[in-house]
Amino acid sequence: MNVIVAIALREFKAFFRTPAGWVVSALFSLLCAIVFLTGFLPGEPATMRSFFVLAGWLSLLIAPAISMRLIAEEYRTGALETLSTAPISDWQVAIGKFLGGSACFVAMSLPTFVFVAALAGTANPDYGPIIGGYIGLWLLGVALIAIGLFFSTVTRNQVAALLSTVFFVILTQVAATIVARAADGAIGAWLSAPLYTLSLAPRMDDFAKGVIDTKHVAFFLAAAIWFTSMSAIVMEARRWR
Amino acid sequence: MIDVRNVHRRFGQIHAVRGVSFTVHKGEAIGLLGPNGAGKTTTIRMITGALPPTSGQVRIDGFDTLGQAMQARRRIGYLPETTPVYPEMRVTEFLRYRAVLQGVPRRDRRSAVDCVVEQCWLRDVQQRRVGDLSKGYKQRVGLAAALLHDPPVLVLDEPTSGLDPAQIAQTRRLFRSLAKGRALILSSHILGEVERTCDRVVVIMGGEVKLTGNVAELARGDSLRCVLEVKTNDSAVLRSALSATPGLRAINAEPVVNDPAWMHAVIETTGDGDVRERVAVAMRDAQLLVRELRTVERSLEDRFMQLIEEPAATSDNISSDEKTVAPA
Repeated sequence: MNVIVAIALREFKAFFRTPAGWVVSALFSLLCAIVFLTGFLPGEPATMRSFFVLAGWLSLLIAPAISMRLIAEEYRTGALETLSTAPISDWQVAIGKFLGGSACFVAMSLPTFVFVAALAGTANPDYGPIIGGYIGLWLLGVALIAIGLFFSTVTRNQVAALLSTVFFVILTQVAATIVARAADGAIGAWLSAPLYTLSLAPRMDDFAKGVIDTKHVAFFLAAAIWFTSMSAIVMEARRWR
Repeated sequence: MIDVRNVHRRFGQIHAVRGVSFTVHKGEAIGLLGPNGAGKTTTIRMITGALPPTSGQVRIDGFDTLGQAMQARRRIGYLPETTPVYPEMRVTEFLRYRAVLQGVPRRDRRSAVDCVVEQCWLRDVQQRRVGDLSKGYKQRVGLAAALLHDPPVLVLDEPTSGLDPAQIAQTRRLFRSLAKGRALILSSHILGEVERTCDRVVVIMGGEVKLTGNVAELARGDSLRCVLEVKTNDSAVLRSALSATPGLRAINAEPVVNDPAWMHAVIETTGDGDVRERVAVAMRDAQLLVRELRTVERSLEDRFMQLIEEPAATSDNISSDEKTVAPA
């Protein structure tokens, strides 16, 4: 447990000690602010729905930017050699890295609490959808970090890790939207139904409405656990290559 | 302490390590020597458990590095070839992190870090960022991290590459002191390094152990060399003059670079006794003027160079896969 916390903490600190970490999080805050401000007008409803929907889509790009370095960087610098010869298991490494990356994602979304304060100061917002929105955003982020961790484990190049994560995520989103819709009419529900379930960002719509659907929660958590486990298994397998 | 038994490692088609066996006892320092790509790093990675052997077994203090990996790993301090450091961390912070990874109990961590900072002369830089340190200091930080849990087995892969001569001398003394009460493996392609720090050498080439033995014994050598300078510009004259002299194995003669009237010859002897008198007599009989005649003891370096050069000299007899270079 100690080891997992130490790995996660080191990862978290490292992200915010590199310029890249601040650039990524500044970009995220800026884009979110633009969307938030377009709806932050007299007469408009005091909600953050459009913000959460956009933040969900934005996470598809931002989370891989956090996760790309998790293992690939260790591999490149040779530090993985110490992790793999220390008396710790590959599972501890994978879980520590996953938690560290997830913490970075959550930390990056914290500046957007300013929007909540702005709403509270000027109107009387309904806090249910806001709390739901943040829970959804973080769950989505955690799932994406795990996917990114997996791709960071398979390559020793950070850029390759980033691109393959983004490519994988976009591919599943295309499958879950355009392909699924086409399959719905032409082929049948037996194909389209599983494709629909691959969707990530669209699940944010429900959370942003304040609906915390166990189906979505279970999906994100399952994705996080599955991809983190796969990362640990790949790390174990890679010793044998 | 370290027991390597008939270890093989293949990377696809490449057979990088072919049946390496040796043991290292407590209090003993051995040097793993070999040219680049000989399989040193692969062997070391198998000892530390970073890489499982294709076949064979490595035991650390009796624990199998595969079956009892955690027990084995807890007993090893390992400094990899590329010093693994996180550039953004401060020295003591990095060492504390590594102490957690090595399983040093919380209450002992501070004293463990203080102890290695002292041991590796890091006091002056302990608050600096690791990324800002010179290569020599980074190397010491890596070494300090390997010592945190006071391991009975210490494995150092090319620990002095990138250090300046003063640092090398310093680190050598450190290695000697570290070897007390521990089993130490040090790999290097620089022989002088191993000669000065280790009790025993294991020479690895082409993935096989080519030579193993006590440094002192190997350095003493069995055969002697003799250096001769005579006034002649024809090496054939010299050769014919020495042709009847017993105890000579080979004569390697070249004109002196700035003084071609003189011939510089290195005579390899068969090793039974001093040949100087016989050579001097032969020179007198041939009426050749001698200005230098001395014996040279064959150093470990000569043995090593001979081993390295041998396959090249007889490359016709060696199948091509014998020369396959393993990835470092």
